[in-house]
Formats: sequence, C-alpha cells, structure tokens
Amino acid sequence: MREILRMVVVLTLICAGSGFALALVHKVTKEPIEYAKLKNVKEPAVKAVLSGYDNDPIKDRIVIVVGKDKRGRPVKLVVFPARKGGKTFAVAFEGTGKGYHGEIGVMVGIDLKTDKLTGIAIVSQSETPGLGARIVEKSFTDPFKGQSLAKPLTKDRIHALSGATFSTNGVLAAVNQARDILTKYRKQMVQ
Amino acid sequence: MSLAKEFKKGFWDVLPPFRLVLGLCPTLAVTTSAENGAGMGLATTFVLVCSNLLVSLLRKFIPSKVRIAAYIVIIASFVVIVELLMQAYAYPLYQALGIFIPLIVVNCIILGRAEAFAGKNGVAASAADGLGIGLGFTISLFFLGSVREILGNGTWLGLHVMWPGFAPFKFMVRAPGAFVTLGTTLALINWISARLEARRRS
Repeated sequence: MREILRMVVVLTLICAGSGFALALVHKVTKEPIEYAKLKNVKEPAVKAVLSGYDNDPIKDRIVIVVGKDKRGRPVKLVVFPARKGGKTFAVAFEGTGKGYHGEIGVMVGIDLKTDKLTGIAIVSQSETPGLGARIVEKSFTDPFKGQSLAKPLTKDRIHALSGATFSTNGVLAAVNQARDILTKYRKQMVQ
Repeated sequence: MSLAKEFKKGFWDVLPPFRLVLGLCPTLAVTTSAENGAGMGLATTFVLVCSNLLVSLLRKFIPSKVRIAAYIVIIASFVVIVELLMQAYAYPLYQALGIFIPLIVVNCIILGRAEAFAGKNGVAASAADGLGIGLGFTISLFFLGSVREILGNGTWLGLHVMWPGFAPFKFMVRAPGAFVTLGTTLALINWISARLEARRRS
C-alpha cells in the first residue's frame, strides 16, 4: 500500500512539474511563434503586393474583428499596414472567394489615398492544375495592379482566364470582399 | 570513471547510429541536407542532456516500478520545449524537420541513456554522457547529411561546392540514398574498428 502511494505521489509530482514548465515556455514563446508563422507564411505575399514601406508590416499587424462565425466566436482579420515615416499609406489583407474547388485566399494590397490596388497575390488555392490554377501566374495577377476600387471590380477590367470562369470569379469575389472590408473598417486600419 | 571518459565514449565506442545502431528513424529521414542533420542532432542533444540531468537528479526519488513512465514524461516535456523554441526562433528548420521533432520522444537513444546510464550514475557523469552521445549523434547526422547533400544536390550548407555542369545523383536525397549512405558508412566504421582491434591484439 505504501509503495503504491509513493508511486502515485511521485508520478503526480513529476507530471505537475512538467505541466508547470510547459505552461511557462508556452507563455514565453506564444508571441514569437505567431510572428514567425506570419513572417514565413504571409510575408512573401505581403512583399508581393506592397512596396515602398519602411516599417515591418508583420510586426505592426492590426487585428480587426469582422463579424462572428456560426458558433458565435469572433472572426479575426489580420491587416498588414505599410507605413512610411510613421504614416500608413497602404494596407494588405486577405480576402476569400469561392473558386471552382474550394476557397481561394487572395492577399490584396490597397493604396489608401487613391483606393487603387497595389497588387494581389494568391495565398491559398486548390483549383484545377493547368486550368484554374493559372490564377497564380503573373500574367493573371499583374493586370489587377492599379485598378480602382471606387466601384466593385468586374471581369472586363482584367484578363479573365478562358476555360476557368469559376476561378476568375473566385479571385474577383475575394478582391471585392476585401473592398467591402475596407469600406467598413477603414478607420481601424489607419489608426 | 572520469568525466572526460564518459564524454569521449559517445564519439566512438558507443557512437549512436553506427555503433549502437539506435535512433535510425530520424537518421534516415532528416539527413537530406547537412543543415537539417545538424539541426536534428542539436535538438536531440539538448533533450538528451536535459533529460539525463533530471533523471539523474531524481533517480533516488523515482520508484523503480514506474521509472519508465517518469522518464517518458520528463523526455516528452523537454521535446515539447524544443518544439516550441524551434517554432519561435528557427521556423524554417522546424518546417523542414516536421514530424521528426515530436518523434524525438520515442528516440531509443534518449530513453536508452536514461535507463542504462542516468538512472544509475551521478549528475555530472550523466550530463557528460548525454553531451558526448548527443554530439556524437549530431556529428554522425551532419556527416550523413553532408554526403547526401553534396552528392545529391551539389551543395553543402546551401553553397555550391561541385564543379559547374555536375549532374547531381538525385536519388541520394531520396529515401534509397539514406540507406546506401548509412550502410556504406556502417561498413566503413566496422572495417576501421576491426583493423584497430587486430592491431591491438598483435
């Protein structure tokens, strides 16, 4: 009986100590991990759509709550601001649109002064290779640059992909979603 | 037993992948480049030294019937710590090593050293043992990774080292290359140690 008690106590103590140590490490590394993930996953896309900034958009990221999901939890949007001399002149954030096969995630860069696109980059997609997947190519994404977002973007202003209407529409929907978000939350983005 | 002896044995006498032939799963899987091999080796070394230290400290406190469970909890904690730190400060390496970081928990070398050495010896000796074996493991992985990277990709630590026009043996960075490199190195090391043994006898 005493032996069993001793085993239980020792194991409990070791597990408790381990839990305590892990909680501590988790707390310390939480921020750096989030930063490292964004830096490695999102920075290439941010760099592709923004230029001419002198800050670190990943470090200065702004988190905005944009509505709630089905379970009532807040949906968060990460906005990457491009600043020069401390002033935000453009932002980049992700919009999503339904493609032929699942959601298309598009990083959208918008100049805040002129409301023109500074560029788009496809972050995630699972379109048909060789057909819809051509949305990642430069020849498709480049014509978005400089397009005004005063009105919703339509197909006639870009080079729509023939044979991949759904994918083209998905990207357009993502850009227009980003446009809606900008109109709604412009104030929080500029702060 | 002197500390230096405990430290040195990890480099030849009980060199993990070649003499003990333990820990082969990560050895085969992550040595596609010198950098990955070294990173995996160093992560394992950290876990090995820390777990050896703690197991040795607690060896009189842990009842022998539950020692394996206690060792595994200790080892798993350090592995999670390594995983978190690597994610925070060396994300590309973390992505390259992937599942093999959490799998350090079940690496036979670490549990083997806890059971065979740290559970019976003092703190300083256990730390020296862990450090020696860990560094031996690191050097082995670094060597295998270097061979595979140079032959299979024409680069070493990302730098081009082969002559221009060198056509890399692509299969060296794939799974078969791991077996070929490991087998050849094992044969070489066995041959050397047989020669050394013969010389000692004569």
